Amino acid sequence: MTTEQSSHKNSFSSEWLWRAVLPIALVVLLLGFAAVDRSVLSPANLLNIAQQTSYLALFAMAQTVVILTRGFDLALGPAVSMVSVGTALAMAGATATGHDPSIVVLAGLGTGFGLGIACGLFNGVVIALLGVSPFVATLGSYNIAIGVATTLSAGRPVQGVPKLFSQLFYGGSIFGIPAAIIITLAIGLALHLMLSRTVFGRSLYIIGTNPRAAAVAGLPVKRILVATYVLCSTLAALGAIMMTARTGSGEPNLGGSLSLQAIAGAVVGGTSLAGGRGGVGTAVLGALFVTILSNGMNLTRIDGYIQMVVLGAIVIIGVLLDRLRLERRR
Amino acid sequence: MSAVVTAGMPRRSITLGRSIVGRIGLLPALLVALVVGMSAIDPQFYGLINILNILRNASLLAIVACGQALVIVAGGFDLSVGAVVALASVVTAKTMAATAAAFPGNTALIIASGAAAGIGCGLAVGLVNGFCVAKLKVSGFVVTLGTMSATAGVGLMITSGIPAYGMPDSFVKGFGRAQLFGLPTAVYAALAVIAAMMFVQRRTLFGRYVYAIGGNVDAAVVSGVSIQRHIVGTYAVSSVLAALTGILLTAQVGSGQASFGGDRMMLQSIAAAVIGGVSLRGGVGRVEIVAISALFLTILGNALNLLHVDSRLQPVFLGVIMVAAVALDELSRRSKARV
Repeated sequence: MTTEQSSHKNSFSSEWLWRAVLPIALVVLLLGFAAVDRSVLSPANLLNIAQQTSYLALFAMAQTVVILTRGFDLALGPAVSMVSVGTALAMAGATATGHDPSIVVLAGLGTGFGLGIACGLFNGVVIALLGVSPFVATLGSYNIAIGVATTLSAGRPVQGVPKLFSQLFYGGSIFGIPAAIIITLAIGLALHLMLSRTVFGRSLYIIGTNPRAAAVAGLPVKRILVATYVLCSTLAALGAIMMTARTGSGEPNLGGSLSLQAIAGAVVGGTSLAGGRGGVGTAVLGALFVTILSNGMNLTRIDGYIQMVVLGAIVIIGVLLDRLRLERRR
Repeated sequence: MSAVVTAGMPRRSITLGRSIVGRIGLLPALLVALVVGMSAIDPQFYGLINILNILRNASLLAIVACGQALVIVAGGFDLSVGAVVALASVVTAKTMAATAAAFPGNTALIIASGAAAGIGCGLAVGLVNGFCVAKLKVSGFVVTLGTMSATAGVGLMITSGIPAYGMPDSFVKGFGRAQLFGLPTAVYAALAVIAAMMFVQRRTLFGRYVYAIGGNVDAAVVSGVSIQRHIVGTYAVSSVLAALTGILLTAQVGSGQASFGGDRMMLQSIAAAVIGGVSLRGGVGRVEIVAISALFLTILGNALNLLHVDSRLQPVFLGVIMVAAVALDELSRRSKARV
């Protein structure tokens, strides 16, 4: 009895301790890398880290939204490639037919988001209405999106991205803050409000915690799930547009290993694959951690292959810590 | 619906017929249709070289898919199989080269050490996967995602991405590229693996317990099945089979390469298992159907090549067929449940 009581008393402070693990690890990591190479903490590199993080954070947020409902999106990476290629092709085509730059950008955005939404609709309908597991459904769309991206582009980068587009989504800045960071901050804030303040957002947590209870409570689970996958793919499309603006061309290999990186980011940050736990904060923290780790390892010239081993170990340790935290709480 | 109308005696024959269809499924029909159609369209398809090519590739995929199927039946996932194929290939080649340098001419020792090292590193990855999933209770998806990255990294690190040579001739020409009664070695290896796995699934306690764990963990615990040991076992089997595939590929190609296997092999093995009727909810699935499904996927890829379908477009077919197969399965299950 006494041990139970004391553990109960401690649970508040230990909960805070567990929550602080990742931020503390982040600071330790930064200081550790800085001890090896001073330039890690230079303002230029910190801004660089923030900018790199903003892409991964966006993808981790997209992934978090579906993970909350016990799903995940393996097709996120290929969808990014597909959107990148589609956006660039549409803009190149519109430029060739002599349209105004602003019309060209609009055509690109329309195509990019259209492809993203189509991919999300496919995933959502197959998962929610046909009852196929998220793994198989998004593995299917993974293959389809890769096929579409490489076929449309013939496997080569698509040139012809107008300056205005790159300026809007990459080169531009407000008070010296690059566009990518501003966009991600704005989206993160909006998503956070949506997840914490709206009925739709809260219902994602209910579906993830207990799908049967959600259905019994009268939530339109199927419709919400479709919307969730569309939201995920739309966020991924935005990230793809930002990355296309950065590279200045539509890249059929842009997504590469992004699906798994985004899942790793979300999971390291403390999002539970069992559903119902996580949010914008965990996604951003996880993305920051993964980015600082790889940035630091690059600057301290750690072999790229060893980096893969470290990232793999970090993912497992991150989930293990989360697991221990949950057991403590019980 | 028809089963409701024809209640009574005929029902038994209908359920029997349905169970046969359910057991064998749409897959053999699709396979036969594909083979017949392709033979009619392109005589190259049934040429000896093409058939051997199909059989060799299907065998390699089938071996990996059998291990994958076992893990999925127990309710898990193994994303690391592709990376294990690469690591085993590299380690086997490097070990053989090292042993050959130390004991020149001792071919038996060279081959044995290489094969043991390859299988050994597969076993090591499998044990790590199993330990993390069973003892530390981390989700299989995340664990094997982590070991996938780590294993691929180690494979690249050992070779710096350059193919490793230095294997004895008798291993490459006498084993990897050899043919017995006109069939490549890999086919016999695959048949042996499939037969062994069928025996394990049907006749051994391990196999039955794996079904029990995947079907209902709580019931298995209450029945006294030691869950952890069996889950570790499934991951170990999966990784060892992936390592075996890596060794077979190495013997066939004549060099150890970190680019073998990879994401493609991993995704195809899961696709083969899922199209072969293995339920991702666990507890359902047979390796022989998975092997047929591996053959189907290989022939499909081959057919698309022969039909000059752009190789870039081919993943689209794979994706659509996979989703359609599982969706059909799911819908038929629902209509059954309603009856």
